[in-house]
Amino acid sequence: MKRSTRLGSAAAIAAAVAIAVAGCSAGEPAGTEDDPITLTFWGSYGNGGNSAQQEVLNETLIPSFEASHPGIQVEYVDVPYDDLLQKLTTSAAGDALPDLVRADLGWVPRFADLGVLVPLSQAMDDFQEFADATYPGVLATNLYDGEYYGLPLDTNTRVLITNQAALDAAGMDAPPATFEEFEAMAGALEGTGITAFADGGLGAWNIMPWIWSGGGDIASEDLSTSTGVLNSDENIATIQMLVDLYQAGQISTGITGNSGATSTSEGLPGGQYASILDGPWMNGIWESDFPDFAPIYSPVPAGPGGSVSVVGGEDIVLTASSKHQEAALEFIRFTQSEEFQLALVPTGQLTVIQELGPKQVELVPYYSVFTDQLETAKNRLAITGGAEVDGILNTELTPAFEGTVSVEEALTRAAEQIDAVLAKG
Amino acid sequence: MSISTQATGLATRAAEATPSAARRPGPPARPARRRRFSPTPYLFLAPGILLFAVTILYPMVQAFQMSFFDWKIVGSATSEFLGLDNYARALGDEQFWLASGNTVVYIVATVIPQIALGLIVALLLHKRSPVQPLYRVLYYLPVVTSWVVVSLLFRFLFADEGLINFTLGDLLHVTSGDTSWLADRWTGLAAICALGIWKGIGWSMMIFLAALQGVPQSLLEAATMDGANRWQRFRAVTLPAIRAALGFVTVMLVIGGFNVFISVYLMTGGGPAGRTDVLLTYMYRQAFEFLDLGYGSAVSVLLTLAIFVLSVIQLRVFRDRSGEVLS
Repeated sequence: MKRSTRLGSAAAIAAAVAIAVAGCSAGEPAGTEDDPITLTFWGSYGNGGNSAQQEVLNETLIPSFEASHPGIQVEYVDVPYDDLLQKLTTSAAGDALPDLVRADLGWVPRFADLGVLVPLSQAMDDFQEFADATYPGVLATNLYDGEYYGLPLDTNTRVLITNQAALDAAGMDAPPATFEEFEAMAGALEGTGITAFADGGLGAWNIMPWIWSGGGDIASEDLSTSTGVLNSDENIATIQMLVDLYQAGQISTGITGNSGATSTSEGLPGGQYASILDGPWMNGIWESDFPDFAPIYSPVPAGPGGSVSVVGGEDIVLTASSKHQEAALEFIRFTQSEEFQLALVPTGQLTVIQELGPKQVELVPYYSVFTDQLETAKNRLAITGGAEVDGILNTELTPAFEGTVSVEEALTRAAEQIDAVLAKG
Repeated sequence: MSISTQATGLATRAAEATPSAARRPGPPARPARRRRFSPTPYLFLAPGILLFAVTILYPMVQAFQMSFFDWKIVGSATSEFLGLDNYARALGDEQFWLASGNTVVYIVATVIPQIALGLIVALLLHKRSPVQPLYRVLYYLPVVTSWVVVSLLFRFLFADEGLINFTLGDLLHVTSGDTSWLADRWTGLAAICALGIWKGIGWSMMIFLAALQGVPQSLLEAATMDGANRWQRFRAVTLPAIRAALGFVTVMLVIGGFNVFISVYLMTGGGPAGRTDVLLTYMYRQAFEFLDLGYGSAVSVLLTLAIFVLSVIQLRVFRDRSGEVLS
């Protein structure tokens, strides 16, 4: 039944694309300067009171696009990040989606599965050209069931951020570059009252950098099974390292879901935590709240698998219900331009175009670690049940950290449940 | 019992009996009632009923329907009919039972203190004094304060470095002051219950204050004349007189306890590892985070059933003893 639904929706999408593409040559209102068409674009650029990104978009980028594309107007609607998923879900149910959406990359498979997105790899002749220019890990977030449903818009990744005072206390002159150095730092910090590492949970966003760097993975490449992959010896060793540190009091209880633990964004600059893994946006937060704090950015500590982090960010997607498909595709092409990508860099957005990396670092020097980390950063499972996987990882790994079950047992139980999620698609 | 009390009691009983006694003979004037159909009352009722139907009844019926399907949110996709599978899944789901258990713990641990403390405060404030309105406002303030605000406030109070730990550890030296309240099932629930009680006392106090106005002064005076002490007067006169209010408060608080959501969602998020989940946070996660709307609906239907059955039982209990229906 599930399969047939999927096939059904795939057929529906194909039909929608065919109609849309055929329609634009036949009768899609092309829009003229006197009678322009309007594209609606939803996003959460203004999240957390970030007015800089919205300003650049509304006052520089959109006017520039409209000037070069007479007859098309773009109306950007800002939706708070926390409301966006729900708004998109209800709009999808009510068939009231906008033309374009800046979607969190974890949402793309979900909405692709609902059949409300246009597969760009079918709808754009020049898709491959754009795809090749982006980071592979970032591009992969758009892949669902063999088709690409969007193009990367902006990206981010997690790197190790360390507090200099903690490094001094541990007698280290550089942040830990390997698992061994990381463990050594934790050992050296014992008795200083500084916790070596802190994180806010055990979901894929939190735990995957460790797993990948440890040489493991969460599921087989064809997404058919997690058993045998998640509970591999490599993963048992990696998680055991974290569990040992946790039980020695060297990792904060926030990682096992203690919502009363001091947050990472406060504890690191406050000197309680020596290191955290986090993204490029933290700089802006600290600049206003902790002006004296100088964060040290370095790659995720390397294990047997190297230094591999997790990809975050947003993709731009086109809805199947859009009446102006060709115009919307034009805007998508515009988002991949150097003009668009670099304009948003100073506002806290990392470019998705590999080639623009050096230029981005020129604009914002502290992005260099993030830019390098992105070269190898990987995507989480491209499935509809990403949130369920996070729930499973949290529920099963927490007892392992608390020491009530063995790491192997926890990973095996998690793998079994993830198998079931994978089977659903 | 003295004659005067008995007399008063009889008079009250007689007064109570009057309306039903008048109804019983029922003069055979039936045809007069069968007047022509008049749409006026229905028209007056229509807006309210329409609003109720659209915003409450329709979603309820739809949720009931969804609970039998693997419900797809987009209209064009086909939802698979599962029959009772979602219900069977819930009944065999460990996490569902854990959440149910937590909900029951929350109800038991908050309803009783809210009633007891609410009643005590009401009795204290019932006496006329110039500061009484001030205290009434102070106790009622938490009730009208936003759940979101006080939930976040309590989360900070119970944080590892929060005021509760500081008070217990550094000030009073009762504990070592490093309790991670929100990191464990029972301490987490204790914090959530503390918020529930604190926020709810004012509401039950208000209802009891109103009910206390209705306690017949003559009965209290008569009891005093008979030599009843304060506690005896409370037990034999006040308590029976406010039984209806007591029943109302109990039923409403139990329903409210089943519906606890915001405080749990904001204070612990159901964590760690779902151990402080209550039914509604579990339902919310299934339906809106995992988009498993069929299963989420099944959980809420079960919740509705539980509330319905418990409410009927409670109404029965309170009606049987007092012989009157609760308003």
